[in-house]
Amino acid sequence: MIAPPDNPQTSAKILLGKKLYFDTRLSADNSVSCATCHDPALGWSDAGPTSKGIKSQLGGRRAPPVSNAAYAPLQFWDGRAPSLEEQAKGPIVNPIEMGNTHQVMINTLSGIKGYEDEFKTVFGSSPITLDQVAQAIAAYERTVVTTDSPFDRYVRGDQTALTCVEKKGLEIFNGKGHCTACHWGGYFSDGRFHNLGVAPAPGANPDEGRYAVTKNPADMGAFKTPTVRDAAKRAPFMHNGTEKDLMAVIRLYDRGGGPDGSNLDPLMVPLGLSQKEMTALEAFMKRATVSLNPGVADEKPVPASEFPE
Amino acid sequence: MKKIIVVSVVLAGLLLTLPETGSAIPAFARKYGFNCNMCHTAFTRLNDFGQRFRQHGYQIPGQEGHEKNVFATPFPLAVRTSMGLVVGGNDSTTTSSFNINGLDVLAAGVLHKNISFLMIYTPRLDEPAGDYTGAADGANPGQLGALEAANVVFSNLIPEKLNIRVGRFEPAYHPLSSKRTYYLASPYEIYAYGSDGNRFGFDDNQLGIEATGDFRAGFHYAAGVVNGNGANPDNNKYKDLYLAMHQVFGRGEGQSAGQRVGVFGYYGWQPTVFDSLTGPMGENEGGGNKPFYRLGGEVSLNWRTLNLRALLMQGVDDQALNPIDTADDYEFTGGIIELDWAGLYNNRLIASAMVNWVNPPCGDDDKQVLAYSAVLRYNLGDWTAVNVALHAEYLHREVGQDNPFKDDIVALMLDFAL
Repeated sequence: MIAPPDNPQTSAKILLGKKLYFDTRLSADNSVSCATCHDPALGWSDAGPTSKGIKSQLGGRRAPPVSNAAYAPLQFWDGRAPSLEEQAKGPIVNPIEMGNTHQVMINTLSGIKGYEDEFKTVFGSSPITLDQVAQAIAAYERTVVTTDSPFDRYVRGDQTALTCVEKKGLEIFNGKGHCTACHWGGYFSDGRFHNLGVAPAPGANPDEGRYAVTKNPADMGAFKTPTVRDAAKRAPFMHNGTEKDLMAVIRLYDRGGGPDGSNLDPLMVPLGLSQKEMTALEAFMKRATVSLNPGVADEKPVPASEFPE
Repeated sequence: MKKIIVVSVVLAGLLLTLPETGSAIPAFARKYGFNCNMCHTAFTRLNDFGQRFRQHGYQIPGQEGHEKNVFATPFPLAVRTSMGLVVGGNDSTTTSSFNINGLDVLAAGVLHKNISFLMIYTPRLDEPAGDYTGAADGANPGQLGALEAANVVFSNLIPEKLNIRVGRFEPAYHPLSSKRTYYLASPYEIYAYGSDGNRFGFDDNQLGIEATGDFRAGFHYAAGVVNGNGANPDNNKYKDLYLAMHQVFGRGEGQSAGQRVGVFGYYGWQPTVFDSLTGPMGENEGGGNKPFYRLGGEVSLNWRTLNLRALLMQGVDDQALNPIDTADDYEFTGGIIELDWAGLYNNRLIASAMVNWVNPPCGDDDKQVLAYSAVLRYNLGDWTAVNVALHAEYLHREVGQDNPFKDDIVALMLDFAL
């Protein structure tokens, strides 16, 4: 993983970032950390269908997975942040996520001697700044990347890494299923924005998606292609959690998209998949893309005793 | 090896940074790392994705400008041929032979954002020839050397609604493409039909310029100005015109999903005198140029992997082009009904049945055509950018009204492109 020149990876910075990632003291009422919505145990997302912030407020979208987000050229479902560093700053001040202000958060961290010392060690300066907080969290997130999965092993030549049905699923994934039209590359995503015709959740207003950033009508209702890696851990699916499981997602694609066809991506066409093909596709996504890297698959929260005091 | 190729699927993206896809052109599949079913229901028929890819000038729809061009990738070259046993017979004779059905060399790709090209070259093959008479026989080649297609596409001049294709191309007026049919031995009979005085071939690639466009509501159009004389310079001073429109109901393009209804028309000119002035490139001003037209309608209905297509067409050639009755226009009607089904994983198996018929005008009953065809194709493996299909085809054809001449063809072929 290549880090930006102004934020090189160091072991101390990654460790600091991990502590910040799991620390609820970044939120206004000390109840929400990054990991609350981007939980390693839930595929680095949450139980959904949409994310819950401070005071149990519900957001309009699911938490995108932090795992492998380092590969994404733009962050958030609508791509409004150009880097992990910029992304990290957002939820802190979102009133229904962490509900804090940047200054209060900085003041909080500056009042914790352990953090003050660690920041000074890592960045060589004080006081703590917002950019330093963001850089440390981003540095940690850049370690949450998958290089090992049954799919990766299969690619490297291990014929036994995928079962027969998973191999058939891969064939569909790359052919009749049209999945690789968007979910391609090691990140299983083109990092671009597509309108799949997903309907708003019951009672919710239509979501403008990428349009809110670009004001380009072609982007209305378009959302970033999520990675398929570890997808099975992240049900329900879509930006608003309206598809309950992978088979529901496959069926949505098989129909040529969701019910809202007002600005459907031109890549969306009905697929004519048979039940066997859908089952194979599901099998491929369920197991073949599961991360085997310990730092992705089995990451544990920072024990309470290890947070700086 | 197979596995590695198949898997390059996703990994190709790692190397290419951005994908591109393919039509009946394996070079596209190589470029993107996709397998052929991304764009084809099965090789050779385009599915809806492939149709949109073609309409967008061999660019993934919505990704224009992000694709690597031909200068940044290995040159996109592909070849296609077929070979196998062909058994033919009629009431009096039976023949059988292992044959090679020519060779196509294809290249296509993106030159620049929204500027792409397609070239298809068929090299001259001196053997086998239908009337091959020996090693020195250069007069009857098995395949003529030709630039079957050479065109540049300017896409999205008005986003999605206006694309311009210039050069020699397959006009978009015939909805059932004879270039991408599953059949190797059964032509679309009506396409080649006409009076003896008319050299126009309905499914010939033509030289000229074409505008096409799509609308999100499912409306599509194609309009063109062409010579109407195949690969040759025009044989008359007038240009031929065509217009085709169709509407798709439901999602898709009517290729493999959605229900499509369309109409098409072609209005052209043919000379009746051939000693007129010849231009520097061989073009001819024609003499006694007379009009002809073709009008028709078509439907394409889809349910899952079942596709039913039908085309009805009327042709009218001016009476001056009608050698059997110079006092009357040469009018004929005909059509095609084709039912295709794709099955097994990734549509490896194709089964198709087709009926062709042509009703000639009175006085030319000997040219009445009725043909029944069936095809079974099985695509071997799942090889990215490689198509190998086992092809079995049967054709029964009757020509003439009273006591028709009947012949049958069985073809067991290997059809491949890479």
